[in-house]
Amino acid sequence: MAHQESEERAEEWAVLQAIYPELEIDPGNPFAAHMELMVKPSTPLPVTFEQVVERLAYLPPLHLHITLPVGYPEAPPSVTVSTVPSWLPPDVTAKLANQALLLWEEYGGGQLFTYISHLQEAAETTFGLSELTLPSDLKPDLLAYSIRTKRELFDKETFECEVCLEPKKGSVCYRMQRCNHVFCIACLQDYYNNCIKEGDVNNVKCMSVDCGQSAHGSSKKKDRLISPKELLQIPISIDNVDRYAKIKRKKKIEADPTIIYCPRSWCQGAMRTKKYPKITNVSEMDESDSEADEPVAEVAESQDVAAFEKRRVGITGMDRLAVCEDCNLAFCQICLASWHGDFVRCEPRDSAQLTEEDQASLNFIMKNCSPCPTCSVPCQKSHGCNHMTCFQCKSHFCYLCAAWLRPENPYEHFNNPKNKGCYQRLMDMAEGDMAQGDIQFGGRRGAEQIADFWEQEAMRIQMEINELDS
Amino acid sequence: MSAGAKKRIMREYGECLADTPPGMKINFDEQNMTKWEVLLDGPDQSYYAGGHFKLEINFPNEYPFKPPVVAFKTKIYHPNVSNDDKGSMCLGLLRPDEWKPPNKVVAVLRLIQTLLIEPNIDDAIEPSIANEYKENRKEFEKSAKDWVKRYAK
Repeated sequence: MAHQESEERAEEWAVLQAIYPELEIDPGNPFAAHMELMVKPSTPLPVTFEQVVERLAYLPPLHLHITLPVGYPEAPPSVTVSTVPSWLPPDVTAKLANQALLLWEEYGGGQLFTYISHLQEAAETTFGLSELTLPSDLKPDLLAYSIRTKRELFDKETFECEVCLEPKKGSVCYRMQRCNHVFCIACLQDYYNNCIKEGDVNNVKCMSVDCGQSAHGSSKKKDRLISPKELLQIPISIDNVDRYAKIKRKKKIEADPTIIYCPRSWCQGAMRTKKYPKITNVSEMDESDSEADEPVAEVAESQDVAAFEKRRVGITGMDRLAVCEDCNLAFCQICLASWHGDFVRCEPRDSAQLTEEDQASLNFIMKNCSPCPTCSVPCQKSHGCNHMTCFQCKSHFCYLCAAWLRPENPYEHFNNPKNKGCYQRLMDMAEGDMAQGDIQFGGRRGAEQIADFWEQEAMRIQMEINELDS
Repeated sequence: MSAGAKKRIMREYGECLADTPPGMKINFDEQNMTKWEVLLDGPDQSYYAGGHFKLEINFPNEYPFKPPVVAFKTKIYHPNVSNDDKGSMCLGLLRPDEWKPPNKVVAVLRLIQTLLIEPNIDDAIEPSIANEYKENRKEFEKSAKDWVKRYAK
């Protein structure tokens, strides 16, 4: 008799182990076994630790311990349920354990697999809990567990990187925080490092074609730039992330007409302002609210009109005071002298007192580029047609003559015989200014320079002729 | 060009070979894989039916982070192809600010095929041809077909 019923218990284990190979028989007791059940709620469970809510995607597993007593299946199985650390409330664990008894009372033995599968299903809804409040000493363990498990499972998965088109293990991939797109880390680094190197910070956004595609065509994109904090996680080197944050900030400051720069020629820092706080620690910068294609005009518009007026002649008093964010020089926004106190009358000063180097660089810019007709940012063409879109303010303009072009039909300019200089010249010098290794054409200003040159040349020849004649 | 970029171009070529869009032939030179020559048949339902067009696709060093550059080597009368010896195209996917690294050449080729069937009038590189297409379709059809006969047979 004893032999027969021990065989029935062994059979129960055999059945369970066939379905759940992770079930382990206790080494010390052939009729006791245990297993762990993964707890992955279908939506992350909000857990409150002393008023701070964390959403946990994974919770430490449910330990299930089953003992089959002598007399099973006539005697009920003894089941205990627990968690380490103990995050599941005792009333829930008791209820879960009791369900095994209820099942046994109703159907007798041989029902343990139904019970386990019921537990697995219940784990998806965290056993009916919609939220949980726990003492805060559990927080580090639970958070670490959730993050670690997520990472481990991600690492084991395989993804096809859409950029190098190769299957990659999750351990060398990265999932974008905002949109969940996955790319391999090598491609992400190549792309973002390249964007940051070229100063093209507006392209530091998710590479996926599904991101930033607006419903109505291509004109307005609403995708967001990646925050410095996330770039560091990919990881992008701290130097590049630093450069990224700085360029982004610089672009914003440059687009703002109310900002005055330090009059010290060796400094030229921007004046201090609350609008653009100085970057102190990029690893803390997780704002990703900046719109990639935010038009510069909007930034300027949002400024207080009164603030803009401040630079005008005639303002008096303390309103003129500005402080350089780099060298801390206190200076007057109007006369650009170091701060003279609020009762002194002063005149606006021409800021063009440049060092030789600055003058040389300014001369080069003046000679070799076309300015944007809206924001005057100098531009040089590296390749492509002569219809330009300003990198900074998105204005359309002609590279040859720097004329503003109507965005609805920018090409009309090149097809109107009235525009003698540009007619039929859309694709002129499509290889770029530097195609032959030398500057071929320097935009509108270059064209003026060439005209200047030939005028002087003509004058020289004429003078030579005159000399010969005399 | 980086090894990764070359690998990707090879892969894309492999994919194109396995599943070439109809009406297209790709000439690939392993010695110079950054320049593809594509022979494209004018789609039957377009004004370019019966024509054979030679295209050149150049991959920049930064590919796939920068878009490929497409040029029609066969002259074509089309609002979206520049009417000069370059035959440049600069719209949609091909614009540097529109291009996304997961985009593939095959998508570019499909875009070109679609454009042959239905030009994109709003983003024309040749506004006079676009205008004719809009206002005087008969005249446009005549020129397009005439050019096919003259240059694309």
